Amino acid sequence: MPRRLTALLALLLLAACTGGGGGTPEPAAEEKPGTIVVASGRDVTGSNGVRQRLIDAWNRAQQKAGSRYQARLVELPGSADEQRSQLLGALQSGSARYDVVNLDVTWVPEFAEAGLVRALPDDLVDADVIDPVAETARWDGKVYAVPFNSDVGLLYYRADLLRKAGVEEPYVPEGFTWEQLRGHITTLDDRLGAEDFANGWTTQLDAYEGRTVNVMEAFATAVPGLRLVDEDGRYTGDVEQLRRGVREFVRRVDPAYVSPDAKKHDEAESTSEFTVGRTAFLRAWPSAYPTLYRAFGKRLGVAPLPGRAVLGGQNLAVTTTSERARKATELIRFLTGRLSERCLLEAGFAATRGSAYGRSPRCPAEISAAPAPSPTGEPDEVPRGDGGRPGLSDLKLRKALERAVHRPRTPLYGAFTQTLITQLGPLVEAGSADEDELDRTARRLDEALRRALPG
Amino acid sequence: MQPEDAGEPMDRALLICVSDYRYTEPPHGVSGKLPAVKNNLPVLREALVRAGVFTHEDIVPLSSPDFAEAARKLQRVASEAGGLLLVYFAGHGAIPSGGDELYLQLCDAQVFAGEHTVFNAAVSFSDLMGTVLATSRADRIVVVLDCCFAGNAARVWEHFEDKRRVVLLMSVQANHRIDAGAPDTPTPYTENLAELLGREGGTTVSRLTALLRQRMAEQKRRTLRNEPWQPQLRADAGAEVTLGRKGPEVPLLVPGGSGPAGPGPDPGTPGPSPRPRRRLPAWTAALWRRPRALAATWSRARRRRQHARRGAGGGKRPSRGILLRFALPVLVALGMLGVGLYGPLGLAGGDDTHCAPPLELRVLTDPDLEDTFRTAADAYLTSEANTTEAGCRRTGITVYSAGSSDVVEALRRHTDAWKEPGADEVDPQRDIGPQPDVWIPASRAEVDRVLEQQDTDAVAELEPGERPLARSPVVLAVPSRLAPEPLNEVTGRPLTEMIEALTARAEDTGVRRPDPEFTDSGLLATVGLYGDTAAVARGETMVRQPGPPSPTAGDLLCALPDDDAVDDRTAALVPEFLLISGVDCEGTVRAPRTALYPADVPGMDPVFVRVRWDGGETDATARDAAVASFRDWLAGEGGEEVFARYGFRDPDSLEPIDEDVDLDVVSYAPSPLDASAGRDEMERALGAYQAYGGPGRVLFLLDSSGSMAGLWEGPSGGPGLLRQTLGGLGSDDEYGVWAVADTGDGPYETLLGFGRHWRRDAEEAVDERARVRDASADPHAALLAAFDEMEDRGDDGRPQMIVHITDGRHGSYLEGGRLREVLDRAGAGGVPVTVAVLGSGGCDEGRPDQRIAEVSGGRCLDAGDDVGAALHDEIARIGTGDD
Repeated sequence: MPRRLTALLALLLLAACTGGGGGTPEPAAEEKPGTIVVASGRDVTGSNGVRQRLIDAWNRAQQKAGSRYQARLVELPGSADEQRSQLLGALQSGSARYDVVNLDVTWVPEFAEAGLVRALPDDLVDADVIDPVAETARWDGKVYAVPFNSDVGLLYYRADLLRKAGVEEPYVPEGFTWEQLRGHITTLDDRLGAEDFANGWTTQLDAYEGRTVNVMEAFATAVPGLRLVDEDGRYTGDVEQLRRGVREFVRRVDPAYVSPDAKKHDEAESTSEFTVGRTAFLRAWPSAYPTLYRAFGKRLGVAPLPGRAVLGGQNLAVTTTSERARKATELIRFLTGRLSERCLLEAGFAATRGSAYGRSPRCPAEISAAPAPSPTGEPDEVPRGDGGRPGLSDLKLRKALERAVHRPRTPLYGAFTQTLITQLGPLVEAGSADEDELDRTARRLDEALRRALPG
Repeated sequence: MQPEDAGEPMDRALLICVSDYRYTEPPHGVSGKLPAVKNNLPVLREALVRAGVFTHEDIVPLSSPDFAEAARKLQRVASEAGGLLLVYFAGHGAIPSGGDELYLQLCDAQVFAGEHTVFNAAVSFSDLMGTVLATSRADRIVVVLDCCFAGNAARVWEHFEDKRRVVLLMSVQANHRIDAGAPDTPTPYTENLAELLGREGGTTVSRLTALLRQRMAEQKRRTLRNEPWQPQLRADAGAEVTLGRKGPEVPLLVPGGSGPAGPGPDPGTPGPSPRPRRRLPAWTAALWRRPRALAATWSRARRRRQHARRGAGGGKRPSRGILLRFALPVLVALGMLGVGLYGPLGLAGGDDTHCAPPLELRVLTDPDLEDTFRTAADAYLTSEANTTEAGCRRTGITVYSAGSSDVVEALRRHTDAWKEPGADEVDPQRDIGPQPDVWIPASRAEVDRVLEQQDTDAVAELEPGERPLARSPVVLAVPSRLAPEPLNEVTGRPLTEMIEALTARAEDTGVRRPDPEFTDSGLLATVGLYGDTAAVARGETMVRQPGPPSPTAGDLLCALPDDDAVDDRTAALVPEFLLISGVDCEGTVRAPRTALYPADVPGMDPVFVRVRWDGGETDATARDAAVASFRDWLAGEGGEEVFARYGFRDPDSLEPIDEDVDLDVVSYAPSPLDASAGRDEMERALGAYQAYGGPGRVLFLLDSSGSMAGLWEGPSGGPGLLRQTLGGLGSDDEYGVWAVADTGDGPYETLLGFGRHWRRDAEEAVDERARVRDASADPHAALLAAFDEMEDRGDDGRPQMIVHITDGRHGSYLEGGRLREVLDRAGAGGVPVTVAVLGSGGCDEGRPDQRIAEVSGGRCLDAGDDVGAALHDEIARIGTGDD
């Protein structure tokens, strides 16, 4: 029914005209070949330009086939907030032209609901796409944005410190909890000196999306099955759920365990703090792996985050205003297909397709962004892909993705995250709260979320 | 705008004829051009003049305007009219369904049919009504529509409370399409209208409509549904308008009907018009302050309509699904401002609220003001001003900042690349940030600098506010123990005198200033440093410091306490508000400071600038309204509270907004105070700063060893970064590029010989010759060779720098004695080494690259710094390039 209604509406709209001197609507024509502009955030993952290489590969194929379409990657600022602002502002006003936009998974409902991106064929997200990742593609029952690369929170740790402190292996066993993590930190505190490390763990608590991610991980751990919004994105949480969530979050920002600098840190800064050896544990995305491996080699350990981890990543969508929507969809099909996902995995991204993690054919050399092994006497290159990451096997990464939880899926995500960031600011600063304060925070947050996501 | 008491009220007419449509191909184009409409303009204009309705000067003809132009002219003409206002539209009309809205499509119109249908560049009749009612003080308003579905406007008109002033003539009855006729004649309706006007002169609109109907019937005109073509009229009971020289205005006998006009005014009927001069309704003033913010008006009208619809019990109300489906296009066409709109739409299906995603505003500001305006935006987002009756947010806001001189340059010369990044390395979208809807520079002079030298074909148009939002003087913040006694010396003297007096009191005192190219506070301070005599060298000597200046005033105040000895004897040129509100590096013990107010250092006077982008008119009216609302909130109590908290002064009285300031730190009312900078003095100071020391000399070392293979490709790879920085170098600068990899012929290979280069040649050399070598790098040998190279070129006082782009993996090459050797040379050479380390953590304390940068007075940049942008800024300080 909705499809028929849409088609009818389209007909009505296109017929809405003055009969231009006897003119009738022209017959549908092929779209005009030309440049397909792909807007994506600046790649700060050190993937060696794999996105550009994939686009180059598609362009070569087009050229070979005699097509007059070419795709061009336009880079947006590195900050996700600025990317979102530009994409929203430009698509709403028309101040810039994009055909394909690379959206953070949390933005999909907003762009879909606002009519800024188009519904795409369902088969772009087939059964090969890992479950929670596939869910990020849809809004209101339709596919709007196809998963391009995924992300999930991981726990990195210093295996050498744990060994030195006499902790028994495995250091981070299956089902590792936050309680056990705190226990490890206490052990390290007791048995090692200040020259070994300064703080237990570090993460991203600055007033940006990283804080929201950390809060949601605490909330999802404390309240199993927590959703906070219904399928329309309207707030459904309550004070009790929030109280439990806030309590868990406060435990995580307790200055006895977390670095005092974490409250001013984003991804790069927290990774840097861990790299210089100031903390024994770090919460970070898989993209931090190459940097950390370079710093620590086999002294580095990686494990799923205790409790629940938040799903990240980006999805590709076709803009409503694109004049080359058909071809843009074709481009997305290529960029998110099995071959591309394999290439993304080898370049260090978390692939969105299960098949990429298996024994699928390797990324072809002409696309592969993974550097050739260095024959020189320089330090070894970071092993990538195909189980070549010590401590972070493909299987481990895939499992982490499968268990990951969503941040609330709502068209008003901007308001949601801004509310969470500002409301929990005082707790991040204070690093502690008594029961009364917990209760007040939960109530204030409940009220603020109710205002931010009316429902 | 016509003054209240200016004699005879002005009559104005706006004739919009859209015959040429830019997009006429599926899937989004309109259904073709309308050559016949082109003939309407001269015919109607002539008829109106001949009938004595208007003079030629009264009429503004618009031939196939785009949406933005039509909207601008409509507002202007409506605001100018005091007597009779005529708005005429001929072109494509479209409706979302058989519903009660009508869209008038301008030349850049497009239709996006689908799940969420969008009419781009089409003005809804509600908006048109809202505009004329809110903007115009005209006594009588006549709107004439000659397009398909023109009659659908009638139902919209019905819902406006203020409709009494508006008489509406429509070419055809509702839900009917019509033929425009032969390409060489006017459209049938307008042809008849013009002819009747010319013949009848001084006739009433109701009589005119009756005659039109009669003629159309005689001509056997039919709509495309093959029904009789019947022109329509809507006028409030008792309202009548006479068009032409003669005849009093008479009430209609049959309101809204087609009967002939009555014999004359009925003495028993309240005088219909002219209506008294009208002020904007109080709510408009309160909410928006300026009539340009029209969305409130339109939305209010919509809200009334929606309420009326609900109140009517909904016998004909569409189902929720259908209503939403048809409502969404309207919502999107309005740019989703949705003032009071979404709530009622969502509520149609029940008591729950459905908020649409809000319109997003991109707000760019000076780096020193980012915190202030981010706090302000956070407060505004949840304020009443930004909340609809249904509890939805009208607008979302993202505040970001970028280097001030980069922003000025981008707005002057690179708006095209900002809108549409090309293959060129100039890419403001990536390097500065989003295309701003609002720009808040720290000084009004920055706006004037842009306007004075903006490219004639710039695609961004600036509209600055007149009054600063707040003020903050740029002060010389001296350690309190060095403050002058008596304190009457805190004002009234030029900056250089103050600094000389300070050094006279304590010889080892230093002065620092933030980077004049990055933040306005640094440039404002530089205006005073150079003084009237433009004593650049003397000024720069006064603020000489080891290493590069701090990017912002906030960074400067945070950096000083890193070394207690420095903090205790260094004065800082910073905006006063930072001394009141503090900076975000608490936990550091800092020397207490006292503000001195130099007489020749202009202060910050942040001003609100609306930035409009060509092609960005899809939601122009809604965006304008959203911008105006935020602007008014900032200028009102909401903004004042934030500015008070941050330690700003009132823009008019110049007194602190929060009276409770610490008088040990700042003065309450220092006098004299140099409140605002001039455009030319800022331009001069920046030019002199950039030219100081002459052209620069830069040697790039590009690590090309095998381990760079994973960090080579794309704009963030080694060569990509290098290319981006070349823009900071001009043709007078000297530079060279070495590939560092030990391939057996020494520690480096010259990619580009040292000397002056055209940028394109340099880029080509990098593109062609830079490649990863199957070899390791010896940074120890390469750096020592680089120091030799720079030394050979002599110390002639020109700015110099060695830039080392590397992955930071040096193994034993930079350990022990080798590292010590490099550190010794770096410390002694006087040439700063800036290291760009690709990979997080490369600049952590104690790492070789960080130590080399520090000891040489350069900077170490890694992934935590946005290497590309930071490196560009570093090079820009040395070179004379201009992008």
